[in-house]
Amino acid sequence: MREISTATLATRHEITPKLGYLLVLGAAFIWVVPFLWMIVAAFRPGAYGAIGMASILPDYIPTLANFAEAWASADFPRQTLNSAIIAFGILAVQMVTITLAGFAFARLEFPGKRVLFYVFLLQLMLAPVVLIVPNLQMIAKLGLYDTLLGVMAPYFASAFGTFLMRQAFNDIPRELEDAAMLDGANWWQRIRFIYVPLARPAFIAFGIVSVTSHWNEFIWPLMVINSPENRPLTVGLSAFTRGQEGAQAWGVIAAGTLFVIAPLAIGFLGFQRRFVNSFVSSGIK
Amino acid sequence: MQITRRLALGGALGGALAASMLAGSAFAQAPTNIDLFFPVPVDGQLARDMASMIKEFNDGHPAIKVTPVYTGTYDETLIKTRASIKAGKPPAAVIMSANFITDLKIENEVSSLEALIKADGKTGEQFMSQFWPALRGNAVLDGTTYAVPFHNSTPLLYINGDHFKEAGLDPTKPPQNWAELVAAAQKLTKREGEKVTRWGVSIPANYDYLGWIVTAFTMSNGGRYYNEDFPGEVYYDTPSMLGAITYMRDLIEKHKVMAPGVTQGPAATTAFLAGQTSMLFASTGSLTHIRNNSKFQLEVGFIPKNVRNAVAIGGASLMIPAGVPEAQQKAAWELIKWMTSPEKSGWWSRATGYFAPNMAAYDLPEMKDFLAKAPQAAVAVKQLQFAKPWFATYKTVPVRKALEDEVQAVFSGKKSPKEALVAAQKAADEILAPYNKETALRNF
Repeated sequence: MREISTATLATRHEITPKLGYLLVLGAAFIWVVPFLWMIVAAFRPGAYGAIGMASILPDYIPTLANFAEAWASADFPRQTLNSAIIAFGILAVQMVTITLAGFAFARLEFPGKRVLFYVFLLQLMLAPVVLIVPNLQMIAKLGLYDTLLGVMAPYFASAFGTFLMRQAFNDIPRELEDAAMLDGANWWQRIRFIYVPLARPAFIAFGIVSVTSHWNEFIWPLMVINSPENRPLTVGLSAFTRGQEGAQAWGVIAAGTLFVIAPLAIGFLGFQRRFVNSFVSSGIK
Repeated sequence: MQITRRLALGGALGGALAASMLAGSAFAQAPTNIDLFFPVPVDGQLARDMASMIKEFNDGHPAIKVTPVYTGTYDETLIKTRASIKAGKPPAAVIMSANFITDLKIENEVSSLEALIKADGKTGEQFMSQFWPALRGNAVLDGTTYAVPFHNSTPLLYINGDHFKEAGLDPTKPPQNWAELVAAAQKLTKREGEKVTRWGVSIPANYDYLGWIVTAFTMSNGGRYYNEDFPGEVYYDTPSMLGAITYMRDLIEKHKVMAPGVTQGPAATTAFLAGQTSMLFASTGSLTHIRNNSKFQLEVGFIPKNVRNAVAIGGASLMIPAGVPEAQQKAAWELIKWMTSPEKSGWWSRATGYFAPNMAAYDLPEMKDFLAKAPQAAVAVKQLQFAKPWFATYKTVPVRKALEDEVQAVFSGKKSPKEALVAAQKAADEILAPYNKETALRNF
């Protein structure tokens, strides 16, 4: 990101490149402070009420005790796997549904298309909390109560994803599709070979939004899941953070949070450039 | 490892034969599987304590297999329980915030325990007589037992004895009334110019906690908060509550001994443990946690009074939701009786700080030893003589939040106490209106 920002400022000749660089560094520092604090706190001995708990300076001998306590509190490998199954399972199905729905709204003509599209968008306005009971009733009727599939099912269709793909497909020149039609491509070949490859940045952007939001979700898995072996990370670790009458063990919370975000953070760092590029070209930030 | 087809086939056949032979006897002994929903109001360690307690029960009761299901906060546990009832999958037992039972009863979401008590050859009254009298009001409704107290609390005033001595106060005599509380807080607050480096007193103001502390202040001011006999009335816009809210506001604005704004419970406790606050209003449920983590002389006292000594109980009860099949109800009843027995009640009390609802727990030698070592734990029990039932109305949570939102606005300096209470009363009355229309205001 920072190359882009400095480039813009420099080309406009409003600020010298160096000053722009410094500004961005300053902004990055502010953004990174909570993460630094979390890492410092995770290694700090004396979880409760240590005077220096708020300090960001590592003025202590690092300890792994917080990590040990967080690790002991939950079956991490199992819960990480559950979180991964939920987040990526949802994404896999969504990729199919949003592609087809997005294509239908972008390119097919059918009666009531506009109304149907607005009804779809209306879903974005619904607060998920009001859907808990009806969704749970449906899940129970389908025999999916207390299963990972039950956690995933309500998200298989995505209004946001459909909207995003419709916009992405609309931006692709119709002439490309017409050329493919002349060559005898049927509708799914046109989607497979024309639309999907050209809309890849939008897919990646949607994938990140979808995976992070379902990875971090708490209340819905809490409603569906009873068995300890089906819990995702967020539910498994919440015993630390939901206590209202105790003091919070910040060190353990920090250590546990590091465990929770580690898989996604490592994945993001690994593919950082590709992610950033896709965000820039899809216009989501 | 190589397995021949024949061996595999033989093994499969043998296994099937053995399984079919076993099936007859196994069917009779298949344990009844039940779920227990439980919130963790204090800290993560308790989730593990609960797991070990349930394991002990399962080991001792081969006919029953209980799965403890952690369900978040008290409010989240209520949401999950209701959703699971509506989805036709109620758990066999729930540790439910004690004051939610009334609302669950109005909505027909809780099972009466009378039949199960009767099967043991007791009356509801005989069964409930083993628990502290103050706890019965939230468990027995219209003469029918709906819940069994599991862990209960009252609010306490926690004080930092080291700060008291430093300020020339006697740590063995915590403030008894509102005047003494202000005087002590003024001596304990430390200022460097305009900046406060140590606050005299702190009140947690997050949802659930705030409503409970306001209840304590209102009751100490002679008030009632709600109608104990009719769940369609709350007394928000009253002199007793106005006095309580004004007093709390004055701690912030007039005496400047309490931090302005909304302090979350855990943050308030952390600040107290770190010595940044000298006095803290908190639940007895936090006692073990605070005792284990304080590095100073810790003393506790009753909630200071203005008109009288009075507090509301807090904590949770065990209940059986509506729609649980009979076999599961029986298994849940075994679990409930076991968890509320004097031994287990006492053990959980020592692990958490909640007082043991079962009075006989205090006659056990291990409890006497514990109280000798931790005299602070006895204060909550002594305060029980002044305890009253916890506010419980139709739609308890929204009715409570109607008040909490307004009091938070007072703490943040956005509203005067009178404005806030008028608004809170109006909001609560609107929420209660449908119930009143069906009951007190019914047309004949």
